[in-house]
Amino acid sequence: MDVKAAMKKAVLFQGLDDAQLNQLAQISHERVYDAGAVIFSEGDAGDGIYIIGSGQVGVEQTDTSGETSPSIYLGEGQVAGEMALIDGAKRSASIVVVDADTRIYYITTEDFTALCQRQTDIGYIMMRNIAQDLSFKLRHGSYNLTKN
Amino acid sequence: MIYKVSYVVEGGDLPGGIKNEEKAPEVGDEVQLGPKTFVVTEIMEIMPPRDDFQFLHATVRPVEDPSPAEIG
Repeated sequence: MDVKAAMKKAVLFQGLDDAQLNQLAQISHERVYDAGAVIFSEGDAGDGIYIIGSGQVGVEQTDTSGETSPSIYLGEGQVAGEMALIDGAKRSASIVVVDADTRIYYITTEDFTALCQRQTDIGYIMMRNIAQDLSFKLRHGSYNLTKN
Repeated sequence: MIYKVSYVVEGGDLPGGIKNEEKAPEVGDEVQLGPKTFVVTEIMEIMPPRDDFQFLHATVRPVEDPSPAEIG
């Protein structure tokens, strides 16, 4: 699957036309990881966003006793690292690859911000989609609390 | 249509997940979250659909490992 096909399956790129997707594809970097690889670690500087093209990753956080465990798994079409893109803070969790040959598309904050400032129509759609994705994750978390 | 599904595990002891699915999940379906397999026990809509996406919640429980007696 190429980067544009992967983007069409991700809510993050919902509402963008082909020309706009091409511009995002040009600043995307494809990476393939083995199981167990660490994409970024809790406390790292936030340097971009990661779109999962295929495979699965675990979001791992360290608790107060210092133990690290996955809090959620993210599969195809999901996004990791978007919080740091918005607030500029350090990574709140580590991302560890679960499935062999997990394919990730990475966009640097610098490239993403420059494109959104240059093409404000893309910027508006992307910011709306990031907000929707964060809302979905919040609803997942609150549903988790009510069910347990 | 792409189904973006929030999977929540009954009991809260195991992490859930968020995945895109090409077909709508149904009660009784099995899903892989991390290293474990789960079975879907409940499904509901989480947000209204938009464009090509539907947004769903699915409650799941772990598929029990077979006991040594079952393995033989």
